[in-house]
Formats: sequence, C-alpha cells, structure tokens
Amino acid sequence: MLQLTGFWMALATFLGIWWGHVGVRWLERTVTRLAPPATILTVMGLGLNLYALFAPGLTVAGVCSIIGITLLWDAHELFRQQRRVFKGHAPANPRNPRHAAHLTATGHATTANLLDREPTGCPVLPRPTSSALGTTANATKHQ
Amino acid sequence: MQWGGLALGLFSFAIIGFGFFWVIRLEYYLGYLWWPYPLLVGALLVIGSLFVGSAGLSAILGIAGASFIWGAIELKEQAVRAELGWFKFNPGRKPDPPFVKLIKKLGAPHL
Repeated sequence: MLQLTGFWMALATFLGIWWGHVGVRWLERTVTRLAPPATILTVMGLGLNLYALFAPGLTVAGVCSIIGITLLWDAHELFRQQRRVFKGHAPANPRNPRHAAHLTATGHATTANLLDREPTGCPVLPRPTSSALGTTANATKHQ
Repeated sequence: MQWGGLALGLFSFAIIGFGFFWVIRLEYYLGYLWWPYPLLVGALLVIGSLFVGSAGLSAILGIAGASFIWGAIELKEQAVRAELGWFKFNPGRKPDPPFVKLIKKLGAPHL
C-alpha cells in the first residue's frame, strides 16, 4: 500500500509556497493598509500551529503546521513585498493610494512588471519611460 | 501532544529557505536552462515518498520534493532578476545542460 503522508506534505508545501508568492503579491497590491491582513495571517498561522499540536495524526498535524508557518512568514512577506513595490522591483497599483503616493513621489516605483520578460543572457538596465503612472518601462541593454 | 507536525512545519520552513539559496547559486553558476533537473529531483523525491514505510520519512521526502519542484519554477525569474541587477550577474559562459535543445524548445516554467 502506498504511503500518502509525503504526498499530502508535498501538496501543502507547494500550495503554501504558491500562496506565499501569488497570494501575497495580490494581497499587497489590493489592500490599502497592510496591518489588518498581516494580523489575520499571523492569527491564522498561530492557530494552525496550535491545532497541529493536538491534531489526531501526523498527516493532519504536518499539513496544518506547514500551512501555519507559511502564513506566519506571509505576514512578514507582505511588508517585504511593499518594499519591492516602492523600489520598483514589483509593479505598483496606481489605484491603491499606498502605491500611488510612491509612484508620484520617489520615482522608483513603477507600474511595469520588469520580471515579465525572457532572460537574454545579458545584463539589462531598467529605465521607466515617464512619470510611471499608467506607463510601462523600457529595458535597455548595456552595450 | 503531537510535536511531529510542528517539526515538519519547521522542516518545510528550513527547506524553503534552502531553496532560495540553491536557486540563486544554480542560476549563477549553471543558468536557468538547467530547470528540468531540479524538477526531476523533486518529482523523484515525491514519488519516492509514496514507497517508504515510515510516515515521517515520507513526509520529509514529500516536503523536500515540493520545494525542489518550486525551485525549478523560480529559476527563470531568478535569471531575469540577475540581468536586472537585483542579484549578482555572472558574465561568464554558463555550461549547457544535457538535452539543451529540447529544454529550449519546451520553455522554462515560471509564475
């Protein structure tokens, strides 16, 4: 008979990492204040880890703890994602006032997703075309 | 109390952290075109987890396998990050992986 514990752990790990990338990006882009979702993620993470201590079996306990620890990290990652947006390493949402303020003030934030390109094997200098609001950025190769 | 679950959660946290480390190194020294190999390692670990007797060992193999599979997906984005100057860029020629033509034809997975 197949041992399915590892499969469930793999699924929990993969989905945990997936949410940590896709979900956190979406959440940070959408909400106007980070503290409420970060608090919810922290409470959920702690709750799942607490439940894991009293879960009926290793599989349930493991899945709960993997997801729980991932959610705790995601709460922290929300703030790191915000820093990436402000630095222009992730696209800003002009409709989000938290982002819009940085699109106009610092000049680093951009609405362009600079990661959405094929690797070329050459270093690239990102160069926003204009004041960033609603515009895309060019990427200029070093010669 | 069931401490095994918490231990697995912490193990997954550690192995995901290790994932960041090896993705950066592998992309730097070998290049993103090697993505099928960590994907294969990950898939083999998950498949292997189905055939071990111990639930704990199966869990560890499954977690490690999923982390390797995710790392393979991250390699292409890491290559772009390095080209953009967000990570150290390796200007040297990187070795082609075995079956490079097929790998280029397949296209690297990414988010």
